[in-house]
Parts: sequence; C-alpha cells; structure tokens
Amino acid sequence: MDNKGSSPKGSFLLLLLLVSNLLLCKSVASIPVCPRGSVRCQVSLPDLFDRAVMLSHYIHSLSSDMFHEFNKQYALGRGFIPRAINSCHTSSISTPEDKEQAQQIHHGDLLNLVLTMLRSWNDPLDHLASEVHSLPKAPSALLTKATEVKEQNERLLEGIEKIVDQVHPGAKENKAYSVWSGLPSLQTADENTRLFAFYNLFRCLSRDSHKIDSYLKLLKCRIVYNNNC
Amino acid sequence: MDFNIDSTGFWLFLGHSPPGKPEILKCRSPEKETFTCWWKPGTDGGLPTNYTLTYHKEGETITYECPDYKTGGPNSCYFNKKHTSIWKIYNITINATNQMGSSSSDPHYVDVIYIVEPDPPVNLTLEVKQPEDRKPYLWIKWLPPTLVDINSGWLTLQYEIRLKPEKTAVWETHFAGRQTQFSVLSLYSGQKYLVQVRCKPDHGFWSKWSPESSIEIPSDFIVKDTTVWIFVAVLSAVICLIIVWAVALKGYSMVTCIFPPVPGPKIKGFDTRLLEKGKSEELLSALGCQDFPPTSDCEELLVEFLEVDDSEDQQLMPAHSKEHRSQGLKPTHLDPDSDSGRGSCDSPSLLSEKYEEPQENPPTFHTPEVIKKPENPEANITCTWDPWDIHLESKISYFHAGGSKSSTWPLPQPPSHHSPRSSYHNMADVCKLTVTPVNAAITLLDKTENDAVKASKTVETGEEEKTGKPREMESSPSKIDQDIAWLLPQQKPLFLSAKPLDYVEIHKVNKDGALALLPKHKESSNKTEKPGTPETSKEYAKVSRVIDNKILVLVQDPQAQNGALLEESAKEAPPSHQQNQAEKNLACFTATADNCRLQMGGLDYLDPTCFMHSFN
Repeated sequence: MDNKGSSPKGSFLLLLLLVSNLLLCKSVASIPVCPRGSVRCQVSLPDLFDRAVMLSHYIHSLSSDMFHEFNKQYALGRGFIPRAINSCHTSSISTPEDKEQAQQIHHGDLLNLVLTMLRSWNDPLDHLASEVHSLPKAPSALLTKATEVKEQNERLLEGIEKIVDQVHPGAKENKAYSVWSGLPSLQTADENTRLFAFYNLFRCLSRDSHKIDSYLKLLKCRIVYNNNC
Repeated sequence: MDFNIDSTGFWLFLGHSPPGKPEILKCRSPEKETFTCWWKPGTDGGLPTNYTLTYHKEGETITYECPDYKTGGPNSCYFNKKHTSIWKIYNITINATNQMGSSSSDPHYVDVIYIVEPDPPVNLTLEVKQPEDRKPYLWIKWLPPTLVDINSGWLTLQYEIRLKPEKTAVWETHFAGRQTQFSVLSLYSGQKYLVQVRCKPDHGFWSKWSPESSIEIPSDFIVKDTTVWIFVAVLSAVICLIIVWAVALKGYSMVTCIFPPVPGPKIKGFDTRLLEKGKSEELLSALGCQDFPPTSDCEELLVEFLEVDDSEDQQLMPAHSKEHRSQGLKPTHLDPDSDSGRGSCDSPSLLSEKYEEPQENPPTFHTPEVIKKPENPEANITCTWDPWDIHLESKISYFHAGGSKSSTWPLPQPPSHHSPRSSYHNMADVCKLTVTPVNAAITLLDKTENDAVKASKTVETGEEEKTGKPREMESSPSKIDQDIAWLLPQQKPLFLSAKPLDYVEIHKVNKDGALALLPKHKESSNKTEKPGTPETSKEYAKVSRVIDNKILVLVQDPQAQNGALLEESAKEAPPSHQQNQAEKNLACFTATADNCRLQMGGLDYLDPTCFMHSFN
C-alpha cells in the first residue's frame, strides 16, 4: 500500500524536478554567453565556432569595404597596386594557398595559424583606427569601420583562444605573431607615401581577414559538421 | 641599280599594321578554385594576329603563359586548379602579335578572392502544396551549382528567388538565405508563374539568374473547408424543418385548401349503404319500418313536415329567438333559441319534428353546454329524435333527465354563438352535435354508426343516473364530438347547397339503431301518406306515419308539409294547441317523458325520442 501511494508521488516529484531542470537549462543554454569574469563558464564548441565565423565574416566585410572606399577616394590612378605586391607584414607567415592545402593542414595547426594572424593585427589595427582620422577628408564611414574592425578583431581573438582550449586542451600556448612596423609610414609627411601605407594596410587587412574567415569556415565544417555543411 | 624593299614597308604599303592593343575584359572564378580571363582583341591590322596571355604571380618572378586558351572559349584563358593560387595577386597581360608587330595590353591585377562569381543554382523545382486547412502555397526547391564546394565550407552561398505571373512585368524578389528551398504564400490562383533563382558566395558576386521555371497555380478549389459545408448543411436542415413544421401546422388547412373534401351524400341516420343496394325493403327494415306503409294511428303524432323556418317561431325558442331569427334558416333550433322547427339537422334531418322546449326547460338544456359538443349550448331543443336509440330504452328518459345532454338537434350552438352559418349548417351542427351522444349516433350514419352506438350506450349508462348532468354525456363526448365534427363538415356543403328544407323518408331502422333515411324522391312509393306531392328533391318534411311504434316515416312535401306544419304548428299557435296534438301523439305511446310532452308543446318539431320511448 505504501509503495503504491508513494511511488506515484515520487515519480511525480521526479518528473516535476526534471521538467523544471529542463526548462531552466533551456533558458540558460539559449544564450551561450559567459558572464564577465566567469572562469569556468563553458560554451559549446558549435556555438563558439558559429560566433567565430560570424565575427570573421564581419571583419572581412568591414575590411573590404574600407579598402574599396579608400581606393575610390585616394588611390585611383596612383599605381599603388604594383608596389603593394608582397608587402604585407604577415607574408612571412606560411599559410595554405588553396583549398587542398588548407584541407590538408591539421586543424590544430590551422587554428594556431589563425591565432598568429589575429595577434599580428592587433597592433596595426589599433594604430589604423587612430591614424585614419588624419586622412584628408576622411569619410566618416571609414572612420567608424576602422574602429569597429579593431574591436571585433579583439573579440575574435578571444573566441579562437577559447576554441583552441576546447579543441586542443593543454596545448602550448602560442604567442607568436608578426610584428608590424608600418607605423612610421602611416605618419610620414609624404602624402604619397602615407597614402600608399594606408593603401597597403587596407589591402593586407582585407586579404588576411579573408584568410582567417576561410580557415575558420573550413574548420567549422570539418570539426562541427564533419565536412557536411 | 639597287632594289631593296623593306618587308615592313611592303606590308605597310599593302595597308597592314601591327595589332592593336588588346584589352582584358574580365576574369572570373566560379568556385574560388579556378578562374578564367577574357580579353578583347584590338585591331588586327589586317593580318592574322596571335594572342598570348602571360602572367606573373605575386612574390614570384617567373612569367607564365596561359595554360589553356580553349576551355574558356575564344580570346580566353582558363586557369585550372593547379595554376590557381588564392590570396595572391596575378599580373596578367595579353600580347597580340602579328606580322607587323605586336602589342600588349595593360597589366591586369587579379586576386581570385575578389572575382568569385558562381554559376546559377540548378535543378529548380516548383510545387504547389495544398494543405487541408490553409490556402495553397508554392514550394520552390533548388540545388547549388555543381562546381561549388559547400560541404567543406570553402564557399558559403546565399540565395535569392524571384517570381512573377507570366503576364506581369514586375518580378517579386525574395531573399532565401542559405537554405535551398523557399515557400511563397501570396499567390494569385489560376495563373501561371515564372520562377528564377540565383546565388552569391559569402564574399563575391551574384550569379546570373537560373533559367525560368514555370508552374500553373490551380484555381481556387471547391472549398474543402468543411466548416462551410457544415454551415450549409445546417442551414438547409433548418429550412427544411421550418417547412415541415409549417406544413404540419397548417397541413390540414392547406390540404383542405388544395383538396377540399368532397361531401358525400349524408343523410342523417340514413345508411347510405342501403341506398346503394337500392332495395327498398332493406331500407325500410333499416328504418325499422315493419309495417309499411305505416298505418299506425300514431301517424298523427308525426309532424307533417319538418321545416326549417327562419321565421322566428316563438314557439320554438322564444327566449333565444332574437338572435337566431336574424339568422337564416332554421338554425334557430340549432341555437338554443329560435328553432323554427325546420328540418332537423339540415335537410336530411331525422327528426320529423323538433320540439323546442319553451322556456320551461331551457335551464335543463343549458347543461348540455357543458358537454363538449361544439355547439350544443343549450338544450333548447327539447326532444331529440333518436330513432337510432331504439334499442336504448331508457334513452328518452335519459334525455329528459339529462336535458343537459343532448339537446335536440337544433342545439348545437352556444347561445352566444349566433352562427352566421346558414340554417342548415346550424341544423347540421345541431343534429350532429346533439348534445346527446345519442343524437350523434343518429346523425352519424355511415362510419360512425358504431361510434354513435357506443356513444349512445355510454349515454345509456349515464342515463341511469338521470342526473341530467352533462358529465355522463361527457363520457363519450369525444366520440360524439368526433362524430359530430365529422359530420359537420360533411353536412355543411350538403345543407348549404340544398334547399333550405330537406326531407328524408325514414326507410328503416337498422340493427344498430340507425335510422335509414331515403331521399323522399327516391321513395315515391314509400310511405308517403300524407298529402303532398312527393318531390324529386330530397326533401323530407313530413312524418307520414310511425311504423312499429318506432319508425318515423318522413315524407317529402316541403311546401305542403310546411304549410301543413305551419298550420298545425301555428307558429304563434299557443303551445297548448301543440301540446294537445303532441299529447295526442303521445297517447299512442306507452311511456312518454314529461319532457317530451312539454316539448311537444313546442311547435313544429316532434321529438322523436318521445315516440321512441313510447315505441319501446
């Protein structure tokens, strides 16, 4: 008798507990954001990759827009293009040059590569955001985008670091990056030189952001969706 | 002399020139793995010109030539995967060479990541989906272009569809995101739609629109919406119910309107079946005439004629006369009031005489009103002739006792009810209604004989009480009512159409106590004793004789009889006069109800019950 009476009660309570847990968990899981300062917060890998890809895509959009705007306003007819060949500060970083090469690289190495590139751009983006204001009649869109790119780049770096922690836990932390020494060129008095420096910076930023975006998308489809995006 | 001709000058002499400067039109990569460049040749200078494409890669010093001039078509160069490097700038130059010279195009710098333009999506399929509870919608499905590698994530495509009705000029464009299907809900049914789709890589150019696919949107279907059908069904059911209800309520009147009942020959107390047979003897026997022609000296008791007179006979119902007099014929006696003593119950009245009870008995006859006979308000009619009730011995007494009951025939109507009907009608009512069920029995010859008998029997039982209370009668009022009611309409037409006076000759009384009447004219040979020309019409006004002490023979002699009757009855004749005669008549009988006598004091009407009583 007691069993009969208690088991329904017990199962009901268990059910209630389960349902409440599910509801709570669902509400939490729907917003994969770690509060600031939290140490042990863990967002799922698919969510991390989704967010990373979103950021990288956004960064490249901004970069290519800035490049086109700059070209339109300052660089037409100046013959900057031939001079800009092979002049990015990240050229020394060995990166795959096509899809096959990128697919053959181990995902850990590719992630490290991405990290290196992101770190390499921290400094230049920082200066770009401040130096772009010195451009004569700089369009406001250019200015806002430069600032935005800088912020998003930092966020993407954090995200990739988290991904690396999940994909390669315990891996030696990679701190390598390419040093950018183009600041004097941005501040030089020679208009042509300065403009070329800006041009080069925008061009390299556009390319590198495209690289990062492509690599991350490849990694996402490979790791999260098992090459079945 | 030296003749040295320069070749170039020779060609120039002929009008040829080096080629013009070619121009690179564009380079495109469909999947970010290969690309193709197209150029536009300049003038060829009139000479066959050779075009070559050479390029440099970023960071390399080697000059390459186009690996493939053919795949891309004329004036193109196709770079396959092996020769394509991403994120590197290509420096491409076109060289045009002819015999005269050559020329080169401007260098063209190309980075593959910036020239990606995929092919349009393929396998565009259209389908009209029709869910049960919603409007139909168009479901569009397609596949990404074949060359693009989406699975590895190398390229991410976004799609856009556009559609329009065939005859419209404006396209309706929808962004479909990264999905390879799309639903269009806002459709014009019954039209043919054209649909196209295109795609765009995450950082590249929109493809061209795919070839058109068309689909016919079916017209709006018959409403499958069940609720509409249910509504229609309910509405029609309600309408049908209303019609049925209306028909049920008014059915009878409608039917009678459309098919008015055909009145059958109805002779009160006369078995028409006997007529059918056409045997006088039978009729006579039915009438109970055993001795025919009647030789009874009670003949005198018989009223010479039954006449319905709209003249207000005081004798009849002085009390009620006024109202009834105004009426047409006899109904007077129908009303409790004036009863001119005409033929009872309209023409084929059974009563040879009707005696209205003078004021003496009005009270008693009032009681019949209680009875449910539709129109037997008062028992003005004192005596009702009930030859049918022959077998009911106590009938008469009953009648008298229960004056309330049956009133005489001419009593069918409530005093207040001065029927606008004709006299016949009234009489008919009276006859039928006859407060007494017995009368009803009499009146209802045909079908209701049995009923009447029953009724009479009931009455008989009631008679025992002799309380004169209508209740007894009420016991079988229903039957009688029915009978009466049944008779009534039947009688009506007959009476209305017939002459005011209808006389019947009693042929016989049958077993059931029904008085078989014969139309007087038929029975010319019948007991027409009284003087008076037997008339061909069915008018029976005179009781020629009484047969067997229980059969009243009526003769047909309206005028003469009337006259005779009138004379005898003397409308203004003092009751005593009548009484004398009545008494005289009664003298023949053994038993006579007091009422009867009194009734006899009436006028033209003889209460046959009295006679019957005596007969019995």
